[in-house]
Amino acid sequence: MANLLNDPVIQSSVAPFFAALIVGGAMLPLRLAGLGVAAGFLATVYLVGNFAFSPLTAMRKIVVLGMGAALIGVLAGLAFRPTRSTGLVLGAIFGAASIWVFWSVLAQKPVPEALLYGVGTAALVVWLVAFTVSLHADPVRAGAAGLALGLGSGVAAVLGASALIGQYGLGLGAACGAFLLLVMILGRRVAAGTVLTLTASVLGALLGAGALLLAQLPWTSLAALASIPVLVRLPLGANSPAWVQAIVASIYGLAGAGAACFFAWLASRSSAG
Amino acid sequence: MRKIVVGALILAMPLAAAAEAETFAFDPPHTFPHFALDYAGYATIYGRFDKTAGRFTIDRAAKTAALELAVETVSVTTGDNERGSRARTRDEHLRTADFFNVAEFPRMTYKSTNVKFNGEDPAEIEGQLTLLGVTRPLTLKVDRWVCKVHPFYKKFGCGGNASGVLKRSEFGMKIFLPVLGDEVRITIMFLGMKQ
Repeated sequence: MANLLNDPVIQSSVAPFFAALIVGGAMLPLRLAGLGVAAGFLATVYLVGNFAFSPLTAMRKIVVLGMGAALIGVLAGLAFRPTRSTGLVLGAIFGAASIWVFWSVLAQKPVPEALLYGVGTAALVVWLVAFTVSLHADPVRAGAAGLALGLGSGVAAVLGASALIGQYGLGLGAACGAFLLLVMILGRRVAAGTVLTLTASVLGALLGAGALLLAQLPWTSLAALASIPVLVRLPLGANSPAWVQAIVASIYGLAGAGAACFFAWLASRSSAG
Repeated sequence: MRKIVVGALILAMPLAAAAEAETFAFDPPHTFPHFALDYAGYATIYGRFDKTAGRFTIDRAAKTAALELAVETVSVTTGDNERGSRARTRDEHLRTADFFNVAEFPRMTYKSTNVKFNGEDPAEIEGQLTLLGVTRPLTLKVDRWVCKVHPFYKKFGCGGNASGVLKRSEFGMKIFLPVLGDEVRITIMFLGMKQ
C-alpha cells in the first residue's frame, strides 16, 4: 500500500480524481460540487508530502492561497450571486496576494527584474481569475478551463524541470477532470460556482508562475495558459448533450495547454544545457 | 616599580591569549562540500557544490574553535549538465524547487556551536546547518587535519576533510522519497589560509 501511495501517478492522477469525485458528488445537493477540486488538489499535496507551515516557502504559500481561494469561493457562492465585476475584484485581490507568495524570490532579484516578474505574475493571476470566475454559471466551460489549466501547468512544469509543481498541476487537472465527469454524467445542473472557478484559476496561475520563478518555464508558456479561459468560450454546439460539449470545451482548453507545453519544450531546446 | 610590571603583565595576558587564536579564510578553489546518497537502490550518486566562502578560528592551546561556511546552492553539480535529447539536466532539476530551490534559498550555511579536540587537533564539530530555511544540528567528524606552510602559496594554512550524515527529509526535501535515499552523507574537503 505504501508503495502504491508513493507512486507519482497515483499521487497526481488517481488519488485527486477519486477524492474530487467523492467530495464533488457528496456536495452536489449543496451546489458545491466544485469543492471537490480543492479536495482533489489537497489529496495530491498530502500524498506528495511536502507541505508544512514552517518554513512557509513559495510553494507552500501556493497551497495556502489555493485553499484560501476555495474558502472564499464557497463564501462568495453562498453569500451573493456573482456579478460581472466579481471576477475582476477577486482577481485583483489574489493578484496582490501573489506578490506575498513569491516575495522571498522577488526580494533577491535586482529591482527592475523583481518589478517585471512581480507585475507579470500579478497580471497573470488577475487575468486568469477574472476570465475563469466569469464562467461560474457554465459548468462545462468552467470544468474544461480547470482541466486544461491544471494539465497545462503540470506538464509544462515537468518540462520546465520541476516534478513537484508538475505533480501539483496534474493533481489540479485530475480533480477538475472528475468534476467534468460529473457534468458529463449528470448534465449542466452540476454547479461549478465560484468555488471551482476561483480555486482552479488561482492554483493554475500560481503553479505556472511558480514554474517560471522556481524552475525554468518560459514566459511564453504562461501566455499560452492565459489563453485557456478565452479558448473555452468558443462555440460548443448549443443543442449538443453536456458530455459532447464537455469534450469539445476540453479540446479547446487543451489546445492552450498544449501550446504551453510546446513553448516549454521549445525553450528547453533553445536555451543552454 | 614591581606593581607597574605586574600590572602590565596582567593587562597583557588577554592579548597573549588572543594572539593564540588564529583565523583562517576558506580557500574557495580548495573547499568543496560533497554529498552522496542512494540512487534508486542501484548505486550511490555523488555531487558537490562548487562555490563556498567562510572562515574558521582556532586556538589550539585553549582548545577552542569556531567556523562559518556559506555555500552557494546554485553551484550544485553532479556532472550531468548536458541535456542531449532531454528537456532538462539533472543539475538543472536539482536547482529547482524540487530540491535546492536556489531562487528562494540561494545559500545554505553551517555554523559551529562546539568543537571537540583530540590533543591539539579538532576532532568533531557540532553545528547548525541551515538549508531550505530549516536549521538543524549537524555534527561533522574531522577525518583529517593538517597545518603547515602551503608549498605553493608560501603561507601557513590548515586543511583536511570532515564528514557527517543528515536526513534530507528533515530539511523539507522530500521529493522522490524513498526512491532517492533520505540519508545524505556529507564530505567536505577544506583548506583555510591564515589571515
